[in-house]
Amino acid sequence: MPFDAAGAQSDEALLAAYGRGDAQAARALTLRFTPRVLSHAARLLGDAAEAEDVAQEAMLRLWKIAPDWRAGEARVSTWLFRVTGNLCTDRLRRRRGQGLDGVPEPHDEAPGAEARLLSGQRAQALQEALDALPVRQRQAVILRHIEGLSNPEIAQVMEIGTEAVESLTARGKRALKAELAARRGELGLQDD
Amino acid sequence: MTERTEITDEALEALFQVGRDTGPAPSAALLARVMDDAMAEAGVRAAPLVVGKQTPTPATRRGVIGAMLSTLGGWPSMAGLASATVAGIWIGYADPAALDIVTTVMLGGGYEPVDLVPSLDTFLQEG
Repeated sequence: MPFDAAGAQSDEALLAAYGRGDAQAARALTLRFTPRVLSHAARLLGDAAEAEDVAQEAMLRLWKIAPDWRAGEARVSTWLFRVTGNLCTDRLRRRRGQGLDGVPEPHDEAPGAEARLLSGQRAQALQEALDALPVRQRQAVILRHIEGLSNPEIAQVMEIGTEAVESLTARGKRALKAELAARRGELGLQDD
Repeated sequence: MTERTEITDEALEALFQVGRDTGPAPSAALLARVMDDAMAEAGVRAAPLVVGKQTPTPATRRGVIGAMLSTLGGWPSMAGLASATVAGIWIGYADPAALDIVTTVMLGGGYEPVDLVPSLDTFLQEG
């Protein structure tokens, strides 16, 4: 159960308090979940500005459902990952419809991007390799290996069976390795 | 040099670790927007957001206007109310031609908007 400076209340307790109009609970939930939702959306979309829009929308849906939240049915984090995933998938589909083939622009718009340290290059290489994966594989790999969810939790988020999760993450990892193999030297992964 | 060697699990895990460490942090503006949404959705005014000891009696602090707003659904509903009011005034003043099309489509050509106004004749007759 996550804790933060705003208190030691569970996610569900905070959501219930917010549903009763408690502004402090809203603040705690905002600080607790907005970073996770934003991070997840940014990895799925590969676009920071779009990720902000998705994060705000996902949190808005949380505010809307709060009064009707049924305790014990789902974890707040799982629910938010699901909503975020669906919002991102919608956007990626729309992108494909616009002929962009679902591949976002490279992340080199910021000044001095080329001069980043190795960790920056690795992060960028990882994101580019993730962007090249099919959406479902990308979502499963991110949830498993970056967000740290268990397979049953991912199954709940993606509304599929755990076997399907295992298959998606395995195929996703294989594709990532293939994608990154050519860049081993550049990323300093040869001796890892 | 051109040999394509597979990346090991350990190397991939090192990349995932970098990914975990370098997630984007939400801007203050985003957090503020999320909080604004939360308050608008809860129908609570932004004032009680301020942290600290300043909540003796929320009802008296908000005052009569605050209570009325709260009853109507808070500031978000006022925005809708204001839009509807402005639209109503505009329709009444400008009598846009497009409105005739709407009424024709909805009522058919045989009716005029005035036909919808109840007649007083019934009430004026001696009963």
